[in-house]
Amino acid sequence: MTSKALLATRDLTKTYGDFTALRQLTLDVRQGEVFGLLGPNGSGKTTTLRLLLGLLHPTSGQATIFGLDCWRQSLQVRRLVSYLPGELRMYGSMSGLALLRFLSDLREGDGLDRAVALAEQVMQLNLRKKVRAYSTGMKQKLALALAFSDPVDVLILDEPTSSLDPSARGEVLRLVREARSLGQTVIFSGHVLPEVEAVSDRVAILRRGRLMHIEDMHARRSLRMLLIKFADKVPAEFPAELELTVRERNDQTLLLEHRGQIGPLLHWLDMMTILDLAIGTEDLHSLYDRFHGPDAIDEEMVMSS
Amino acid sequence: MKPFFALLRKHVHDTRGTLLLSAAALFGLGWLFVFVTSLNETEILRVLSSETENNRFRWLRNMGLEEQPPSVSIMMSFWSHPLIISIIAMWAIGRGSSAVGAEVERGTLDLILSRPVSRASYLLTHVLMAIFGLFFVALALAVGAGIGAHYNYLRVPIAFWTLVKPALNLAALGLPIYGYTLLVSAVDHVRWRATMIGSAVTLAGFIAWVVSVIPVLQKYTWRVYLERVSIFKLYNPVDDVSTGESLLFNLAVLAAIGAGCILLSFLAFIRRDLPANG
Repeated sequence: MTSKALLATRDLTKTYGDFTALRQLTLDVRQGEVFGLLGPNGSGKTTTLRLLLGLLHPTSGQATIFGLDCWRQSLQVRRLVSYLPGELRMYGSMSGLALLRFLSDLREGDGLDRAVALAEQVMQLNLRKKVRAYSTGMKQKLALALAFSDPVDVLILDEPTSSLDPSARGEVLRLVREARSLGQTVIFSGHVLPEVEAVSDRVAILRRGRLMHIEDMHARRSLRMLLIKFADKVPAEFPAELELTVRERNDQTLLLEHRGQIGPLLHWLDMMTILDLAIGTEDLHSLYDRFHGPDAIDEEMVMSS
Repeated sequence: MKPFFALLRKHVHDTRGTLLLSAAALFGLGWLFVFVTSLNETEILRVLSSETENNRFRWLRNMGLEEQPPSVSIMMSFWSHPLIISIIAMWAIGRGSSAVGAEVERGTLDLILSRPVSRASYLLTHVLMAIFGLFFVALALAVGAGIGAHYNYLRVPIAFWTLVKPALNLAALGLPIYGYTLLVSAVDHVRWRATMIGSAVTLAGFIAWVVSVIPVLQKYTWRVYLERVSIFKLYNPVDDVSTGESLLFNLAVLAAIGAGCILLSFLAFIRRDLPANG
């Protein structure tokens, strides 16, 4: 992907007293991509999103969208951004339609017709009912209808599928893809890894307020995992053009990552004396577990010891 | 301007019940106090007509009066009734505490401030609605009294415009109460604390004023300090309809305290962090 960075953070930090919610986050999100944010509760995802919207003041560092400072020029930023909060609270005394109209009016009335159509026809909501009569999932559908109807460049979705049934989840993923095809940039924060994996162009993994890793999902989709048992001793190094990375080494057995062309790899394998070979893929869960699984390295513990 | 008016419309929608109830209560109290004044005057007239000139004079002196007071002054003495002050204070504290603290606590502030609405314009709509409500409710008292005066006998007829001055004074009394409650709400993330602090400060001010006017305590020097710290000293409806000398000063001081607190609220709210919810 070659498109320019639309959203950028530089050493973005947020502390509350002694507690650091976000630590020196530096990342770029490109125009027109779906950018996934992954991490357990308390990893700093929502703090990041609230800093982007100017709801929180950064302790240090800076976040910009289209070059606009997210704190100092928050109003201009919010003209370009639509936000779906993770913890959705609504005015229960309003009808669904009145709430859509009110929130659309806060954006000069733009997008109301599309929001009503999405809510009624796609989300199957009865907009005449009071919002207090809606279930949690229905409220989320209402908010999603509004978010996807806003005429904005950036969609920030904080756990957009958390309360939805499976068919509605599929619909949301379709809408995310549609938004990308229309040139919108989507920040997709979530816990459901297959969903994030299905729609994201890149994924950032956060842990305790730190950015641990950014994964290019297009490259990942061409990733192969090779488990090779060599007959003789394991080669000390591999030809660079194969783009092989050693993940694990165990006597005569190697677990390798391969991101390159398949032809040179097969040619190289043909030259090796191999007892056994397995080729597979790796889902996002495996990557996530490297930072959050039971065997994840606690870099802070290592540093402190 | 559409977002601004959308917010104003919402505030009107949210508060219309409380506003109408408060206005109806003060309208009724205004009428009631005219009725009570009328009964008082009838009783005074009955007593005075049955006495000799000397006895009439003695009777008035016993009441602490030099001459029979005009009807409006008798009526205005009722306008300092705690019920009237409570209604104004409840509106001011209710609106002040709901502006920010309650919205953060409910988590609904995100819905509004994630849209292209500036924090200043959001708070301004709240302030405008609250001030409109204060004047609307206070005016309802004057309207109730004005209409009541048409249907009850008063020795000295009252012009409606005479009643507007104490009504303005009453509305202005609500400004500092709203102001300091809003200030707490603007920096907090729950409603109850702003309500509690607003109520406590208002009650303390009212008690200080009540204690400062108790006749047997006039000789104590600390009484003056109590009087000075209470905003209730600046609400004087009897003076407003008689000499009216201090009305402008009282209005100015009350408005200045209210405006100062509101200004501080803006400064605090614009700079603060907005957590997801309370």
